[in-house]
Amino acid sequence: MTTALEVDREPPGARTPRTPARRRRFRADAVRYRWLFFLMLPGILYFVLFRFWPMYGARIAFKNYIPFLGIEGSEWVGLTHFQEFLSNPDFPRLLQNTLIVAGLSLFIAFPLTIVLALLLNELRLNILKRTVQTLVYIPHFLSWTVVVSITALLFAIGNGPLWTFFGWLLGTDANMLADPDWFRPLILMQEVWKNTGWGTIIFLAALAGVDQEQYEAAVIDGAGRWQRVWHITIPSILPTIVVLLILQTGQILNTGFEQIYLMSNSLNRTVADVFDTYVYFAGIEQGAYSYATAVGLFKAIVGLVLIFGTNWLAKRFNQQGIF
Amino acid sequence: MPVLPTTVSKRIPLAVLAAGSLVLGACSDGGASQEPLESLTIMAPFFSPTPPGEDDPIDEALSEIAGLDLSVQWVPNSDYGAKTNTVLAGDDIPDVMVIQGKDQAFVQTAEAGGFWDLTEHLASGDYPNLVTENPEVQEASSVNGKVYGVYRARDVIRASVIVRQDWLDNLGLALPETTDDLYELARAFTEDDPDGNGEDDTYGMINPAWGGLGNGSPYDAMEVWHGSGNLWRDEGGELVPSFTTPEWNQALQYERDLVQNGYVNPDYATMDPATWNEPFLNGEGGIILDVQSRAIELVKLFKEQDPENFDQYVALGGQLDGPNGTFAMPTAGYSGFLAVPRSGVQNEDQLKQVLTALNELNTTEAQNLMNHGIEGDNYTLEEGGVVFDPAKQDFTDQVTGAWAQLGTNVAGYNAHPFQRETEFETALDQLRLDLMAEDVANAVYNPAAGFVSPTYTTSGAQLDTIIVDARIQYIAGQIDDAGLQAAIETWRSSGGDDVIQEVNDLYAELN
Repeated sequence: MTTALEVDREPPGARTPRTPARRRRFRADAVRYRWLFFLMLPGILYFVLFRFWPMYGARIAFKNYIPFLGIEGSEWVGLTHFQEFLSNPDFPRLLQNTLIVAGLSLFIAFPLTIVLALLLNELRLNILKRTVQTLVYIPHFLSWTVVVSITALLFAIGNGPLWTFFGWLLGTDANMLADPDWFRPLILMQEVWKNTGWGTIIFLAALAGVDQEQYEAAVIDGAGRWQRVWHITIPSILPTIVVLLILQTGQILNTGFEQIYLMSNSLNRTVADVFDTYVYFAGIEQGAYSYATAVGLFKAIVGLVLIFGTNWLAKRFNQQGIF
Repeated sequence: MPVLPTTVSKRIPLAVLAAGSLVLGACSDGGASQEPLESLTIMAPFFSPTPPGEDDPIDEALSEIAGLDLSVQWVPNSDYGAKTNTVLAGDDIPDVMVIQGKDQAFVQTAEAGGFWDLTEHLASGDYPNLVTENPEVQEASSVNGKVYGVYRARDVIRASVIVRQDWLDNLGLALPETTDDLYELARAFTEDDPDGNGEDDTYGMINPAWGGLGNGSPYDAMEVWHGSGNLWRDEGGELVPSFTTPEWNQALQYERDLVQNGYVNPDYATMDPATWNEPFLNGEGGIILDVQSRAIELVKLFKEQDPENFDQYVALGGQLDGPNGTFAMPTAGYSGFLAVPRSGVQNEDQLKQVLTALNELNTTEAQNLMNHGIEGDNYTLEEGGVVFDPAKQDFTDQVTGAWAQLGTNVAGYNAHPFQRETEFETALDQLRLDLMAEDVANAVYNPAAGFVSPTYTTSGAQLDTIIVDARIQYIAGQIDDAGLQAAIETWRSSGGDDVIQEVNDLYAELN
């Protein structure tokens, strides 16, 4: 455990050899900042218990895991499960569906969060701003089960209000809940409705930190509202945007299991199957533990590569990365 | 947080140590003992709103009968499959588990020796109440001839046609006898204003969204009636999947015509099966193809709505003749089984204890407790049978929705019958029995029910989904005959051909 603390103490990038002087210094720090270390403990425990310890179990991706035989007793099968997954005829479809759903969230839902945060920021009347903020946070606290149930009522064929509205608007009487063409729009609408408000929190915090004098100076120089947003607000929160973008990219294959699972049915499955539902189906429903773990591990590796990739790109464009 | 003493920094390593040992403890074996069992832990699903509590009187009474203290871990039925697989992968494995299906985790664990092979024990005659009265059903519940559990017996004939009686009367029609009659009835219920309100606001058949293949859906029933066979069909000594037969195609065209003409509810692909009764009650649709017991449920619901004329709404009919002959769809005859994991039950002596307890839990006395409750408390025994006390309805729900799940009834079901409130309902009970007797003669059994093919075990759910989805897509008009054939080709190339090969190998080997 102490080694973990030591590693944390190292300044980023610096690789000084562990001299006796340094060790003494660490001990002095440990005593001096003992409360801070103590506060860190739950966090460290969390990571050890729920992030590092499970990696021991990730070995079953390379084994033919049978619970009765235990992790040790099960036979090693190398990359068989990975090969089986990558050569699965479903694989291209799963990848495509996952990327499209993630892309919609990254390129539409994510910018909308920024737009909403900017709009909120422009509200002058404080009480109005607070009220709107609170109202847009609420959907975040509803579970996906509730959101999907609400959707099912709103889009019920024959009498759902939104079914009637869209049917009138687009001249269709399709069962939108089952139509493959409607699956992605519905998923996006739910995502935007549920999470856009909540996502503004970080941006609003960043916006609160923008130097007010810059605005005053800009007003004196004759900058209009749009110019102030464009030349002051956005550049000021750009680092925040980039950091969140990098983190989002890492999550790209995590499309959110519950929402997709609850919204899928026989008629829209061709577009609804994503990695997460597949893992659930294969692993939990069918008990193919090793195979599902291999798929999960594959997802994690892709996520890691994407984080490093975006981070590298961000640095190339002179933005701060996350590491 | 209270103020901590300044020595707290010295405690940190202790806390870390404690957490570490917790982690280590989690991976070591539970350390089951070789001593005789003192209690019997059972994992079982429940359907009632809440599971029975710790101090449940049924628990007490059954523990006394079993001779072991019962401790049941109740899991909501909707989560049961997932929970089974997580429990099997964990350390805290109960002595007896209700296993609902032969999926990969179960079969692999069983084949690796994780469950006791009960074949010999059950055949030994030491446990008379566990000797099956239907050897075919026990065979079907086995894994390639090895019996890993005491199956939970179910009526063999349950499928039926349930129709709005008042609509039949309004139009001067009779219950359908054939699939053509059914089609005509669905048409009339859609187009001929069966409720006589002058508006075009009804449809014929009510079909909910359905997952899985060959598990009693309305589509399965219509396909069996057309003669497609029940999941597998023997063709000259070779087993073929029913969905590769021409009769299946014919049935699908029939189903598609029903849907395309609007004789089925428009939300057939998304309707929650839990709301199946509603359109029937509300007078939107008039035909349900489901288990006979749904008719009794519907009569009860109509009784709440219209106590005067409740007996004029529901007509229960038997299974239909198809264009290619008379075929009836049976159930599997069982719904999962009670298996004994080796992790908890370590030696033969303990196994004997468990089987003795299960034997006792299958006596008539135990069956009455599990299915009705406690006589004189939540029910009384009248001339015709059991009458429940309405004031104890919650308790009764727990009994019928949870404890009944532990019943196996393999050697016969001898609990008291029900006394119905009205003659109509008593007559309905009798009608059910008559229909069962009539249809069982035509039942088409699945010849591959007891075979577990390795490929199906690993990817059966995905394979089934290919067919289930293609069926609905075809019915919805999303794909045509070529698309349907393409889906079957996908099924074949995704492992279906291996399944066919393996099932036929087993068929040759075990018959």
